[in-house]
Amino acid sequence: MFTKKKSLWLFLLPGLAGLLLFHLVPFLGGIYFSMTDGTINNNFVWFANYQRVFANAAFQKGMRNSLELSLLSAPLIFVLSFILAIMLKSLRERSLPFRNILLMPYLVPSSALLIIWMVLFDYGGVVNRLVDLLGMSRVMWLESGALRVPIVLLYVWKNIGFSVVIFSAALQSVPDEYYEFARLEGAGHVRQATAITLPLVLPTAFLVFVLAWVNAFKIFKEVYFIGGAYPRDEVYTLQHFMNNRFSKLEYQDVTTAAYSFAVIVLVFFAMLYMRKGVRGHDR
Amino acid sequence: MTVKAKPIKKRHIKPGKLISYTILVIICALVLLPLVLTFLYSFFPMSEMKAFLDTRNNYEAGKWMDILLAPAMVSLRQYYDLLIDKPVYLQLFMNSVKYTGAILLGQIVFIPTVAYALSRFRFKGREVLFFMILMLMLLPFQVTMAPSVLTMRALGLMNTAWAVILPIMFSPFYIFLVRQFMISIPGEMMEAGLMDGAGTIRSFFHVVLPLSKPILGAAAALSFADSWNLVEQPLIYLSNTQHLMPLSVMFNTFSSNEQGVVFAAAALYILPALLIYSYFQEDILLGIQLSDMK
Repeated sequence: MFTKKKSLWLFLLPGLAGLLLFHLVPFLGGIYFSMTDGTINNNFVWFANYQRVFANAAFQKGMRNSLELSLLSAPLIFVLSFILAIMLKSLRERSLPFRNILLMPYLVPSSALLIIWMVLFDYGGVVNRLVDLLGMSRVMWLESGALRVPIVLLYVWKNIGFSVVIFSAALQSVPDEYYEFARLEGAGHVRQATAITLPLVLPTAFLVFVLAWVNAFKIFKEVYFIGGAYPRDEVYTLQHFMNNRFSKLEYQDVTTAAYSFAVIVLVFFAMLYMRKGVRGHDR
Repeated sequence: MTVKAKPIKKRHIKPGKLISYTILVIICALVLLPLVLTFLYSFFPMSEMKAFLDTRNNYEAGKWMDILLAPAMVSLRQYYDLLIDKPVYLQLFMNSVKYTGAILLGQIVFIPTVAYALSRFRFKGREVLFFMILMLMLLPFQVTMAPSVLTMRALGLMNTAWAVILPIMFSPFYIFLVRQFMISIPGEMMEAGLMDGAGTIRSFFHVVLPLSKPILGAAAALSFADSWNLVEQPLIYLSNTQHLMPLSVMFNTFSSNEQGVVFAAAALYILPALLIYSYFQEDILLGIQLSDMK
């Protein structure tokens, strides 16, 4: 660890300048912005904008949908990736090809995938053939509220690999002796997972959960591609509300909605930060 | 040299492992399916694909789309049409290349340096700064959208490519990612590299950067994926300059007008991402493995 070095500025300053100008200043400016009335005088109105936006039906719809979509995707990613990571660990070095395949979609642009997704989920598509085979009646995946299913699946498909990789990294650091000992004591697979694996990877699990939740809250691309700027009610997200207000030049509303959203994210952030692990330790 | 006698391993696979194998194979097959189909369909003749896509949205009972697995005739016509007859696709593609290239170039300069300062220097305000970066990385783009537009307008960058490129060059997430790696480089390794008491600059170039190769590769690949998939920023910053739009934004408009070539268009769009991935996949696994992710 270097202390009192002039060269610090050489490394810090260029990046810091950009960070301040393009990220922090807009963030702080936005707080002020959400409390002014947007007229020429720019009167300070405290929380009047918030009251108005909260009462707006489109905002409520967007907020509810964003929450629900993230509550569908984040736990799915979290649980599935944990199970997959445990399975991968049991295969040791032979797990590499599986890992590589699982992470692949993370790099694939979502818009390129859209067409095949629409074909698979078409009323006469493969997914409905399976549904039919199981003896149920076909579902209008793309034309009804069921649209959430293909969207959430596209999102999970694309993002699960990253969580698997983070989990796998954490599992790698659990010593094998622990499991051997547990086996000698007669602990089964489930018991081993809950008594050894889970507690030891908990800090990482927390990071995975926060990232999965916050990122799922940001689902927009996938919905935008399928439904455009004004999609069906069931998938109209908070980001749609903001984008549409933005194109109507109602900046105050956009920013106010944004900060209501940010508060939720920041609560999670605070929890993440409280765990001193992430801050790292001096070595 | 002595060889330790190992107990002879039983050659049968445990049932638990077999279950894991089976499940993983099925899941991986499902994960690959959309990609495989996209590439497969890109070699179908245009007329066949058009006819296939026209059977969508048929709600009559008993009517299904065909399950196409082999073309009547393997054809490169879609690619020919896309690359030779429709210059607009290549132009959009090149726009995406420019954005991605510029963003990565900027990040190579700005991200490792800040991460180095945040991980290996002790200074006043370091905690505050890191706190700020963590917070910013969790916020979606829309939160700072309106004030960012005002900032860009003040800088005269609205409706230029720079409005898209510049902010991402300083992306908080990648600063976080690289910093978490650099902070877990053991102190002994730093000292070993600095026996002659070299300064901070030498230590950066000769010790930290070489050791950080995995995470830099990982960050490059992940950042490539982000930039290749840019949507929110161009939609806002480039609304009046449509010719600057990257492929990611225009792909849907393009493909709904050009049904015959849509799979080749998708395959070509996916291909660079897969190439980058295959080049950097070890780095991604190793980089995250060695980082402090707690």
